[in-house]
Amino acid sequence: MSEPVLELRSISKNFGDNQALKDVSLTVPHGSLIVLLGPAGAGKTTTLRIIAGLEAPSSGEVFIEGHDFTQHQPNQRDIAMIFDNLALYPNKNGFDNIAAPLRIAKTPKAEIHDRVMEMAKLMKISHILDRTPGTFSGGERQRVALGRAMIRQPRFYLLDEPLSSLDFMLRIDLRSELKRLQQESGRTFLFATPDYTEALALADTVCVLIEGEVRQIAKAQELYDEPVDRDVARFVGNPPINIVLARLTRENGSASLKIGSMDMKLPDHMEHSLPSNITDVEIGIRPEHIRMVGSDTAETHLTGVVNDMEPLGMHTTVGVNLGGVDLFFTVPGVQEFTDGDKVEMHVDMESILFFDPKTGRRLT
Amino acid sequence: MAKIKLELVNLSKEFGKLTAVDDVNIAIEESETMALLGPSGCGKSTILNMIVGLEAPTSGDILIDGKSVLDVPPGERNIGLVFQDYAVFTHMTVRNNLAYGLKIRKLAQPEIEREIAKVAEFLSITHQLDRKPDELGASELQRVAIGRTLVTSPEILLLDEPLSNLEAAMRNQMRRELRRIQADTGQTIIYVTHDQIEALSLAHRIAVMDFGSLQQYDTAHNVYQYPKNRFVGSFLGNPPMNFLKGKLSESGGRRAVTSGDSTIPLPAGNLGSDVSAGSDVVVGVRPESLSLASADDPGSFSVPILAIEPQGPETVVTATFGDSSLKVIVPTGTEATEGDSIALVPKSDLVALFDAESGVRLLDSGDRR
Repeated sequence: MSEPVLELRSISKNFGDNQALKDVSLTVPHGSLIVLLGPAGAGKTTTLRIIAGLEAPSSGEVFIEGHDFTQHQPNQRDIAMIFDNLALYPNKNGFDNIAAPLRIAKTPKAEIHDRVMEMAKLMKISHILDRTPGTFSGGERQRVALGRAMIRQPRFYLLDEPLSSLDFMLRIDLRSELKRLQQESGRTFLFATPDYTEALALADTVCVLIEGEVRQIAKAQELYDEPVDRDVARFVGNPPINIVLARLTRENGSASLKIGSMDMKLPDHMEHSLPSNITDVEIGIRPEHIRMVGSDTAETHLTGVVNDMEPLGMHTTVGVNLGGVDLFFTVPGVQEFTDGDKVEMHVDMESILFFDPKTGRRLT
Repeated sequence: MAKIKLELVNLSKEFGKLTAVDDVNIAIEESETMALLGPSGCGKSTILNMIVGLEAPTSGDILIDGKSVLDVPPGERNIGLVFQDYAVFTHMTVRNNLAYGLKIRKLAQPEIEREIAKVAEFLSITHQLDRKPDELGASELQRVAIGRTLVTSPEILLLDEPLSNLEAAMRNQMRRELRRIQADTGQTIIYVTHDQIEALSLAHRIAVMDFGSLQQYDTAHNVYQYPKNRFVGSFLGNPPMNFLKGKLSESGGRRAVTSGDSTIPLPAGNLGSDVSAGSDVVVGVRPESLSLASADDPGSFSVPILAIEPQGPETVVTATFGDSSLKVIVPTGTEATEGDSIALVPKSDLVALFDAESGVRLLDSGDRR
């Protein structure tokens, strides 16, 4: 295993009384694509700015290729930072826009030509190199801007929501191209986004930042199946996980969960894995772990009344009320529901996540 | 048939040599939400500007309640407009922002207060009426912007990418609220977006635009399940519809499409009967319309697996079909290995056939509409 290209050691950052980052540690190996995932205000941009040297940490160190760079100026760090709105030179054509960083670095002319052509091919913009940005579409602009940012080969790239201002389809398109570029060239990316689906599509590893803290570093699928706490569980998955208060009752060696006015039996092995002193819990049920059953089913089930329906093409999300508690579940395809419809639902008990209602930490 | 609220008749707009909007015909019923969906540059903003009256069409007509409004100045068309970046008066309280349009209309003070109370309650901003916009979050600002327009009871409410500046979780919630507001008020809404999810979620009908022309105008369900051409199939859905290029063949009354080593049998019926064997065609099938099968199941076909990507509850399996790639959604945990082959069977009524050159949908397998 090679030396990590970047290492954050217990970084904290205060802005006045506001603690923007709390003891953030993260290791970025060479050639990896790590996604920094978190809602707006979580500290993603502050983290990137500290790495780039645009902001000094209140405490902690930034190690780059094994050396402490905490006190180094931005231009000594050899890092590229890429934003959402990359401005192009409006009077230069595509070629000269992409070539600009190489010209500044006094690269020989023949080499500039070869590298620009190669980058243009990679970003699929060879056909617009002789045109000026005024004639580019939104996607072409962003491709040229990314090509210009990628033409230099710094130690690593910090990408701060680089695709968020693009149209949906373009975003999906460019996302997979960035991933391909990263994999083929072996470059190192630290990519900040608030979008879980983007993280899923891109990352080897995802670092979840919430309220200035690293909550979990894991593979994207692991965040989904095994979130460490309620906040992470809520943040990954769409439609979001249902989180509801429930009361755990134990009687004669078997346990049940009371949700709203309904009771559900808990499998024995799950009961054993929960702390014995706990009665009030928050439970997380993913919308796809609830399915509709016929009213004559022998399975234990919940009865709810439909109060919302959202057709989304591949799925329909249905909102139901069960005596004071709202839940959402998904059904495949397009299905019609009307407010007030009564539905019977089976919950896959094995998939329920339990959280401590006070701390939000996962219990099982 | 409900009353037609707004009608675009042969509407065109040219800017010099560029045709921004090309002969568009759309009729919107009263109390429904119509989504104008398409990529940037497809002409949706130009249509919006013409409805509002900020641009004059080069030809064609715009009718509201059956009467042409081309000669009616923008201020008198009684159309409410809400943009992506909330345009609220930052120096006024929420209450005064909501009151603004009513004061201009010279409503009496008690009436103004009654209307504000109603709209504020509707949008759950009652507790923020005395705050200034800079104390509010993005979704609350957007509620104020919508409220400010809604309070004037416009004939038509135009929402131009209203949720683009919000985060995913907030967008989910605002979609739910917009659906509720529309259902409760019966407001006629035109919703402009490039986001297929918003269009599917909110609209009764979707008009899909590309390069200035209307590609399809139909119910959200039909636009998704029965796209009229390849563009519509590709623009809605994530992952998008698969397009499998190949040649049509026929043997023993059964048709199939073949490319390289892969062959997909077409469902029984007349799908493909309007083109001759040997023609180049494209099979369109959505990733979720393919189910796992066993290789000897009738109607199934096998393709080699290229990649497996778990994405939460579902896993996207990418396979190859001749020169095309094929994505299929399977439950996470399904046994599949890269390099092996996977047997699939398509849902027969959701297989489409497109002309290889024009991308236009060929004969349907049944007369479903």
